[in-house]
Amino acid sequence: MQPFHGTVSALLCLSLLSPSGLVTAQVAAQTPVASSRPAYRSTQLQGDARILHALSRFTFGPRPGDLEVVRSIGLDKWFEQQLHPESIDSSELNRRLAQYPAMQLNTDQLLYQLPSNALIRQAVNGRLSVPTGEPLQAIYENQMDRVSARLQQQRQQNAPLPQQTAAPASGMNAPAMEGQNEASPNANPMNRAGDPASQEMMSGSAQPSPAAPAQPPVDTLLTQDILGLPAEQRVSRLVSMRQPELDTFLKSLKPKERADLVSGLSPQQAELVSALENPEATVVDELIAQRLTRDIESSAQLQEVMTDFWLNHFNIYLRKDEVMPYELVSFERDIVRPLALGKFEDLLEATAHSPAMLLYLDNASSIGPHSIAAERAAFNASRRPANQRQAPEGLNENYARELMELHTLGVNGGYTQADVTQVARILTGWGVAQPQRGGGFEFNPNRHEPGAKKVMGQKFKDHGEAEGRELLHFLATRPATAQFLSRELAIRFVSDDPPQPLIDRMAHTYMTTGGDIAAVLSTLYHSPEFWSASSYHAKVKTPIEYVVSALRASDASVDNLRPVANALRQMGMPLYGCIPPSGYSWKSTDWVSTGSLVDRMNFALALAAGRLPGIFADWAPQPQDDPPPAATQSSDPIVNEEARLEAALIPAGLDPATRTALLQQFHDEIAQRAPGAAVVTANPNANPRRAANVLQREDQLLAGLLIGSPEFQRR
Amino acid sequence: MPSSRRFFLRNGAFALAGTTALPGFLVRSVLAQAQATAPNRRLVVIFQRGAADGLNIVVPFRERNYYAMRPSIAIPQNQVLDLDGSFGLHPSLAAFKPLYDQGHLAIVHAVGSPDMSRSHFDAQDFMESGTPGNKSTRDGWLNRALQAEDLRRPAQHTAFRAVALSADVPLTLAGQIPAIALNNVNNFAVGGRGPAPSPAASAFAAMYGSSGDRIFHAAGEETFDAVQMLRAANPEQYAPANGADYPKSEFGNSMRQIAQLLTANLGVEAAFSDVTGWDTHQNQGSVNGQLANRLLDFSASIAAFWRDMGDDAEDITLVTMSEFGRTARENGTGGTDHGHANVMFVLGGHIHGGKVYGQWPGLDNDQLNQGRDLALTTDYRQVLGELVSTTLNASNLGLVFPGAQIAPNRFLRLA
Repeated sequence: MQPFHGTVSALLCLSLLSPSGLVTAQVAAQTPVASSRPAYRSTQLQGDARILHALSRFTFGPRPGDLEVVRSIGLDKWFEQQLHPESIDSSELNRRLAQYPAMQLNTDQLLYQLPSNALIRQAVNGRLSVPTGEPLQAIYENQMDRVSARLQQQRQQNAPLPQQTAAPASGMNAPAMEGQNEASPNANPMNRAGDPASQEMMSGSAQPSPAAPAQPPVDTLLTQDILGLPAEQRVSRLVSMRQPELDTFLKSLKPKERADLVSGLSPQQAELVSALENPEATVVDELIAQRLTRDIESSAQLQEVMTDFWLNHFNIYLRKDEVMPYELVSFERDIVRPLALGKFEDLLEATAHSPAMLLYLDNASSIGPHSIAAERAAFNASRRPANQRQAPEGLNENYARELMELHTLGVNGGYTQADVTQVARILTGWGVAQPQRGGGFEFNPNRHEPGAKKVMGQKFKDHGEAEGRELLHFLATRPATAQFLSRELAIRFVSDDPPQPLIDRMAHTYMTTGGDIAAVLSTLYHSPEFWSASSYHAKVKTPIEYVVSALRASDASVDNLRPVANALRQMGMPLYGCIPPSGYSWKSTDWVSTGSLVDRMNFALALAAGRLPGIFADWAPQPQDDPPPAATQSSDPIVNEEARLEAALIPAGLDPATRTALLQQFHDEIAQRAPGAAVVTANPNANPRRAANVLQREDQLLAGLLIGSPEFQRR
Repeated sequence: MPSSRRFFLRNGAFALAGTTALPGFLVRSVLAQAQATAPNRRLVVIFQRGAADGLNIVVPFRERNYYAMRPSIAIPQNQVLDLDGSFGLHPSLAAFKPLYDQGHLAIVHAVGSPDMSRSHFDAQDFMESGTPGNKSTRDGWLNRALQAEDLRRPAQHTAFRAVALSADVPLTLAGQIPAIALNNVNNFAVGGRGPAPSPAASAFAAMYGSSGDRIFHAAGEETFDAVQMLRAANPEQYAPANGADYPKSEFGNSMRQIAQLLTANLGVEAAFSDVTGWDTHQNQGSVNGQLANRLLDFSASIAAFWRDMGDDAEDITLVTMSEFGRTARENGTGGTDHGHANVMFVLGGHIHGGKVYGQWPGLDNDQLNQGRDLALTTDYRQVLGELVSTTLNASNLGLVFPGAQIAPNRFLRLA
């Protein structure tokens, strides 16, 4: 067995040796193998290949018709528009996003209206008053009943223990309630997910309470009664139900009834029904759904691609802390997306001040060893008996290290462990006010380490929060940062091992424009290395790129994002689910594996055959489609069908060898397995309905094979 | 099936190799598997994610300070399963006691990663990469151990040589040697399960097989190789042997599937599973409770696996690890926080078990690491280095654990 991770250069040569279809043929290429010079000097993409290349890198994959649109606008102009997302009409997208009203709320409002389980426990313990008035009271009380039942079950399991379950974990500044948050680092990064097509739950926490008491059977008349009500009364009826009646009723519903329950509801009403069942899962579901909706539907594709890039660069793990899903809403909406094409320093500043980052990388719990807070803690500890002493709190270097290693300078950026400690000291006091209630950034001078600090030879005078701001400016303006970010961008947009001259040019732009991300991308766009034929199809799609590009290429109507989220989890790339701060890799070797190919092929087949609930792709020829020129028509209808679907799904075309193998298999095996299929195809008038069914099944299989093909794995 | 499962599979595989109708890659795999499995032992690696509390798992019940530091969570002396007069198993580990007594189970205490990180993320990465303190390592120690084995004795291997029961390949197994990750052995098929490949699977196999894309040509070949092998082995027929009774838990299911893959004779050399739920900051319990429940599942799953493997267990070595231990003192909420050294279990046919290995650093206040945790006396890479050199013939330990200076003369001699 040969290892399959070939070298990148082998791969680049290969993509030239096997030109795929008409478009690659437009490469103005001499045989690059014969040349000893770097390939990009002699072979530049031309014509439509340039457009398809740009679409494959600056979007989540072309939709049918995109090629024609860019051709008519002009490629350079299209790219300029993408660099300025505010110039792009997003009214249709906004109509779709209106389905997720909670995604417009501030963190504290969001926590109030859709309380986290930490807040629910506070309410159970009487440390938080339950809002009066429906429907909020119903949301709180239902969830309190579920949480209480769970706590009671835990208590029974831990029977011989002193009863401490209700005690607070520690102060409000505790980094995480890990003991109660089962999903914390205990969890495998990839939850075991079943068949994406059959999985319905998007967030793990949406499980019904395990401790639900024995439930009486639900009266089917009651079910019919409720489902028969007009929308407003239906919702009122659910609001009036309490535990265990509500969960018993909801659990008794069959999938069809479940759909009926929410049919005709306004987005606010649908959100309320979801919140009655699980407020936290409602936030997670909407967070994931809005992100995928944007990735699939947004016309400002580069903004979404860059949002995805920065969310990975400044990775935050959804389950680090119970408040994290709530903080992530604002982190993405108010920081990452608006600044995705702006100045890097602004982005760095904003992430450094964000509760999401301060909690994820523990800076919120970091205390200067000589700060007032540390001295107080030491004094208090000395008065306690030895066996009750809490672990002394102190400096936490987690954020300081990742800030340099992952966010700015890069691992070889020239800093030492001593610099990490100094950065951690500078950032002491940067924390979160009332983190579980969405209090926002807070600088606490009592926790700040006094005295001057020195990082990489640069002195930082003792002046509180301003020290940190100066530090961020210092880090954002280092040449090492320019190099590190340029390389990361080139790996995302050009190739796994991008040429150094390209990186240098991008880094130069970074340094001369004050870290302007759009300008750096513009330099990349105008570089010959980007347009080199060896860059064409050089990137392997990551799971999110694969899944979203498949939905875009299919022009599928997507009313349910759960199967998409489940597929990403199955493929090992759950959204907001990367535990380590490094984020996911952009390189092919981390994504090409046996298990992942099985998952990708099965996703392709399920999508094409309409087996993903709430997602529909129509493979029939559309009336507005131009009929194919007669000269290109084959006498074999399957060849024609394949050509039609291939043109829509893979505009750059299949490798002829792949296409031949596909058609061969289709004829040999599939025709044998479905006797008569070929005949019906050839003579659709024989039995129109049966013919239509056979045609549809053929189209589904062909489309599934095209989406699962080797060519579709690349961009 | 009248004959035993294993008999059928072994002979079935060879019988298949004689027919001409089989695709070439399947014949190749079956032959390769005959070469690959014969002289080899197999290594099963279990990662306890979340930092397991080693001091309540293998209890130093002679240490007075253990009881002083853990007033509400310590395991009373009369409740531990005494191993050697100094250490005792948590009572939930009763399933381990016979394995220890029979000399199959060895324990290493005060062991772990020398890096002082108390971050789950970093410490898991360091443990899995096998290069504590170095975050830039992109491959795992077990993958490099297989590379080292190849240097020593090049041989053909099957697609199932390295396999993880998870959605993606864990860092431990990531690297140059291809590894399979699968969630569910019985769902590892393209276009649906069945006695014969689905039309879609055949078409994909042909497309990837004809593709000029080197990466995907090879990946496709491996994928269909693996899928076909698994279909031929028909692991769905599998029923646990020797009355093995796996817990109906996620981990029990993983161990059951590892047994399924090993008994299907697919050429597995290294298998990986993780087991979660160890981050007991609150209310971890003592003889009963949260940790006790985890340990019950943990030990019952592993013991069922051992029983299931029967005579084949002779060639299997299983090792457990966790990113770090927990604080020696219980905290204010009936739990423990992030600590340092921990305990590892090594189970195997060739293990000199029935012994607690490692130098014991003591638990007096002045013997604790940073005044709070069990001190570390054995680098976990010494244990793993010994196992990979004895089980996988990976003698180039400089490749497996770069910079660690693991040498045979420093082995614990547990294998």
